Amino acid sequence: MYKVWLLFDPRRALVALFVFLFVLALIIHFILLSTDRYNWLEGKPIKTGQIEQTISLG
Amino acid sequence: MTMTTGDRSSLSGLTDAEAREFHSLFITSFIAFTVVAIIAHILVWLWRPWIPGPKGYALLDGAATAIHHAMSLIG
Repeated sequence: MYKVWLLFDPRRALVALFVFLFVLALIIHFILLSTDRYNWLEGKPIKTGQIEQTISLG
Repeated sequence: MTMTTGDRSSLSGLTDAEAREFHSLFITSFIAFTVVAIIAHILVWLWRPWIPGPKGYALLDGAATAIHHAMSLIG
């Protein structure tokens, strides 16, 4: 497997990898922030689960 | 492969020894990154799992809630 670095320049590969991972992380974090359930900044308690539970118990 | 350690005729310009050295570093970093990602996923799953059960998220929201609900079903 190490022979891949004879084909691809490690410097370019690392830059490309870091850029890709950074953009991917940014996209994933913004997607999570846009949801109700996984927005950790609003910090509001879960609504859907409680509503469902109330209905199922009542 | 008859490439000797000093041969720089590879496409990337690395020698065989340099490629091995970089690869070991790369694998170590990759494993460290993966471990951090796995820990992060475990923490988020404990906080709020992302695969709802057949009845939605109701029974999955938080371990305490799940246990409490399970206990109420038993008792």
